[in-house]
Amino acid sequence: MAEFTLDCLGEACPVPLMRTEKKMAELSVGDVLVVSIDHSCAMKNVPEWARKQGHNVEIEEIDDGEWEVVIEKTK
Amino acid sequence: MGQTAGPATKSTRTRAPRKPKKSQLPFALLATALVIVFGFYLNYYNDKMVVYLLFGISFGVILQRSRFCFTASMRDPCITGSTSVTRAVLIACSLATIGFTAIKYSAHMKGETIPGMENVGQISLALAIGAVLFGIGMVIAGGCASGTLMRVGEGFTMQMISLFFFVLGSLWGAHDMGWWRAHVIKDAPAVFLPDVFGWLGALLVQSLIILLLYIASVKWQEKKMGSAE
Amino acid sequence: MNAFWLKITSNRFYKRLLKEPFTYVTGAVLLAVFAIAHLAVFSKGWGVTSAFADWGAWMYKLVGGNVDNWAYFSSEKAQKTLSGGFMNDGGSIRNLGIILGAFLATLFASEFKLKKIKSKKQIVAAALGGLLMGYGARLANGCNIGALFTSISSLSLSGWIFWLFLFGGAFIGSKLLAKYFM
Repeated sequence: MAEFTLDCLGEACPVPLMRTEKKMAELSVGDVLVVSIDHSCAMKNVPEWARKQGHNVEIEEIDDGEWEVVIEKTK
Repeated sequence: MGQTAGPATKSTRTRAPRKPKKSQLPFALLATALVIVFGFYLNYYNDKMVVYLLFGISFGVILQRSRFCFTASMRDPCITGSTSVTRAVLIACSLATIGFTAIKYSAHMKGETIPGMENVGQISLALAIGAVLFGIGMVIAGGCASGTLMRVGEGFTMQMISLFFFVLGSLWGAHDMGWWRAHVIKDAPAVFLPDVFGWLGALLVQSLIILLLYIASVKWQEKKMGSAE
Repeated sequence: MNAFWLKITSNRFYKRLLKEPFTYVTGAVLLAVFAIAHLAVFSKGWGVTSAFADWGAWMYKLVGGNVDNWAYFSSEKAQKTLSGGFMNDGGSIRNLGIILGAFLATLFASEFKLKKIKSKKQIVAAALGGLLMGYGARLANGCNIGALFTSISSLSLSGWIFWLFLFGGAFIGSKLLAKYFM
């Protein structure tokens, strides 16, 4: 039940998605990953990818044009 | 990497208190006003330019609001196996095909020159090489032609650099075009499908291709991600 | 005052229309409608990159170059565009419109932020990618819009062939990206 963070601020598509994918593979079930993003496309495709994988996802806008995608690994 | 006790849900996560958000709406209204002024100024040059500007703004708004990305439609199937954007591109092509064909067909029936034939390109090795180069470039630069422009508007410094080099590359390409035209493209054929299959036949063939690609992209995602959603 | 603006932007209709992203399919339908309208109005399909070549020529002129004897710019139409300048070129204005439209949409969503470069790798990627796209688009006579979207919708075989090879290029690009630019 650990929480991890991934700083993808300033990264362009598809780097945030690829890094999230890689990081999620290292986590164990129940862990939470918080991905920081400021790329408007990544705030759509990272949550979309995670939902397709069946994880629990929440998006929070923490500042103008900056988001945190919270992913809980379920499997 | 803060460790939290208990179930790791959002409610138990601790985070720094956030600074209050500042609305950008006043700037948005101001910018809109400036764009309108610019539109009137353009009118001064040539009355068609405002219409071009309006179309450009519409395309920009649509691309940004839906995060429509031609790059992702080609790249995501390779990277994650997701084909949702690929399917959206297929839908856009299928709808536009109907409208385009209606316009072209009505011009053809009236015996006028068919509009938009500049986009029926010659098929040569240059087309294939150009497409491969473009494909590599758009994935590395994080945006295609429309996507690069859109991201410049969103404030990405990286795409501003890539736009500058895009223009430079275009100039370089234009410089070499004489050679490519003389040695590779020559009089390579341009194939307009209605010339081959007839108007109705062309529509049917095209719809069939799009349908098959759509089915293939659904199957691809199911295979790669285990879900077609 | 900020509270007043925030109240407007938190209205659910405002959020629906101007804040939350549209679905890809909504975008696809809207793009198709506007692309059709574009063809109907101008009798010409939507394209992006041919204007970039003109921008290049104008920049080249600024630093003292001359493109008049290049085959690419030799046609009467190209010469007219070049001498007419930016403000009289529909393609250039339309591209400027795309930048402005995206800028306005981001502002109305209150999501504008100047995104700085994070690493040197990004600069290399942006420069290399830009050059490849620019050169490739000239060879293929268009980009993902002119040679793909508009071309396929125009019932042209070249659009499908462009798509096929673009897909191959994107595959190579993805491998390069994972290896060198991540």
